[in-house]
Amino acid sequence: MSERLSADARILDRGYRPYTGPRLGVRGAVRSLTRHSIQRVLGIKRVFWAKVLPGLAVFIAYVPAIVFVGISVLFDDLLADNPDLLPGYADYYGFVTAAIVVFAAFVAPELLCTDRRTGMLGLYLASPLTRSTYLAAKALAVLAVLALVTLGPPLFMLIARTVAGTGPDGPAQLATLLARIVLAGAVIAVLQTSLSLAVSAATTRKAVASAAVILILLGSSAVAAALVEGADAPAELLAIDLFGLPFEVVQRIYGETGDNPDAAGLSTGFLVAAYVGWTSLFSAVVWLRYRRLAVTR
Amino acid sequence: MTAAAPVIEARGLVKRYGSTTALDGADFTVGPGVTGLLGANGAGKTTVLGLVLGLHRATEGSVAVLGLDPASAGPEVRARVGYSPEHHTLPPDTRAHDLVRHIAEVHGLPYRDATSRASDALWQVGLGEERYRPIGTMSTGQRQRVKLAQAIVHDPALVLLDEPTDGLDPTQRDDMLALIRRIGTEFGIDIVLSSHLLEEVERICDAAVILADGRVVASGSISELTAGATGTVLVEVDEAADAVAAALRDRGATVTVDGTYLTVSLEGRTGDEVYDVVRDAVVVAGAGIRRLTSRTVTLEQVFLAVGT
Repeated sequence: MSERLSADARILDRGYRPYTGPRLGVRGAVRSLTRHSIQRVLGIKRVFWAKVLPGLAVFIAYVPAIVFVGISVLFDDLLADNPDLLPGYADYYGFVTAAIVVFAAFVAPELLCTDRRTGMLGLYLASPLTRSTYLAAKALAVLAVLALVTLGPPLFMLIARTVAGTGPDGPAQLATLLARIVLAGAVIAVLQTSLSLAVSAATTRKAVASAAVILILLGSSAVAAALVEGADAPAELLAIDLFGLPFEVVQRIYGETGDNPDAAGLSTGFLVAAYVGWTSLFSAVVWLRYRRLAVTR
Repeated sequence: MTAAAPVIEARGLVKRYGSTTALDGADFTVGPGVTGLLGANGAGKTTVLGLVLGLHRATEGSVAVLGLDPASAGPEVRARVGYSPEHHTLPPDTRAHDLVRHIAEVHGLPYRDATSRASDALWQVGLGEERYRPIGTMSTGQRQRVKLAQAIVHDPALVLLDEPTDGLDPTQRDDMLALIRRIGTEFGIDIVLSSHLLEEVERICDAAVILADGRVVASGSISELTAGATGTVLVEVDEAADAVAAALRDRGATVTVDGTYLTVSLEGRTGDEVYDVVRDAVVVAGAGIRRLTSRTVTLEQVFLAVGT
């Protein structure tokens, strides 16, 4: 009898339940938006094709690290005699520039352009989020995803080598190297984040923004090289090389200089000032663009 | 008994964008229930919604929403307000449930509560079985319902709906209006319905604010706007219509007679005052009243009368 009644039962009206639970405020909103943005970029809870590009970029970024760790474990004795056989942490980025450029060109457009094109920005700004907290959440998400390829692989190498007994000697060296890895990863990610956000703030078309980011990164590098190396312009003009600038700063973090002899003559203070200047400029562009953006349509 | 606190109260609201004046000294009060915000395109409706949400600052004047100033307490106001925008372009590759849950989280609900309330909200708007479909595969009517679900998922005190029936066929429109009415009555959520469609405002709203060129040209309850405000009543008497008309004219009324029917209006008087005058005139003329009622006009007539 009861089984038959259960089978026949239907929900006719669920009624409306007021919500009396906790509300997490602006912090909860920022946390939720950041997490949702990271998931979106990485293709989590999305169709298979949305996972391909980020998956490929992460794969490209980690393959050299896995290979280097494997070599250092298998050929420990050989490396003990020839420590320069494998590239150092500062040189690692030379192997993963493709992954870094792909992420820089892909992540911010996916997040900012999509929100403006689909009207999600209006829904977000109709929540406890403000324009500032919205942009902060988006910047955090872009930074976190870029850190996957700028911070993750060197960190993985450090951990793997330390576990395998081929890492730095003693806690002091380990701490110093860890700090350098984190700072270097952040330096690359922050400039790329601010540039890609600034470009993405200018258009609602993702493809245009992605192409523009790549063009600006590679174009500025080509122009700087042509001016300094080809036309004997002052080496200070290398500051317009938005692609090479953060990598040169990274070399200085590790107490080295890069392969470019013109850049080697520039002071670390000058490079840091140029870096901070570009990052501030791009951040200001984003803020000014969003400050007066109409969102209620 | 005290009157219910206003949901929105605007005083001398001015909003200028450069040389363009979007709102020009708007005064209005929105009370509990369903209120229509009426006006032609460019009348200032969207600007009002933006000011209520705290997305812009008023050039002059003030607005209070749920007792708070959205210019200084924007996040607090928006945590208690739901908003359904006019556009239809939600992320096409996102499932309805994921979007609604995410909006609930952004309004401060913990993940677990947001998940269950997203399901509930989608059930309430009639998308229970469709809640895991990508929004891009949904019809315009279903997308409008998703927008409504995300506006109510966090149990707001006030919901702002911007042209919620835009793009719907007549049947879908009827269903959507019934749903909005239900939210405004059974759910206990106050609603501001921004629309340029008079008929739907008249059908489901308790009150309306009519905007034209950035000014409030009429506001009040629908019954006031369509009846009492005109000060005109229709009287049917059993006999001596001319005598009643004469008695009314002696009292300053404007009267037209059509058989036993009299249409009576009194300049500057409304509602019960006009009824009292009619009662006295009928007594003096020795006639009997068969019917006494306000002469109603449609909201469209009000809309046209105020020159929008």
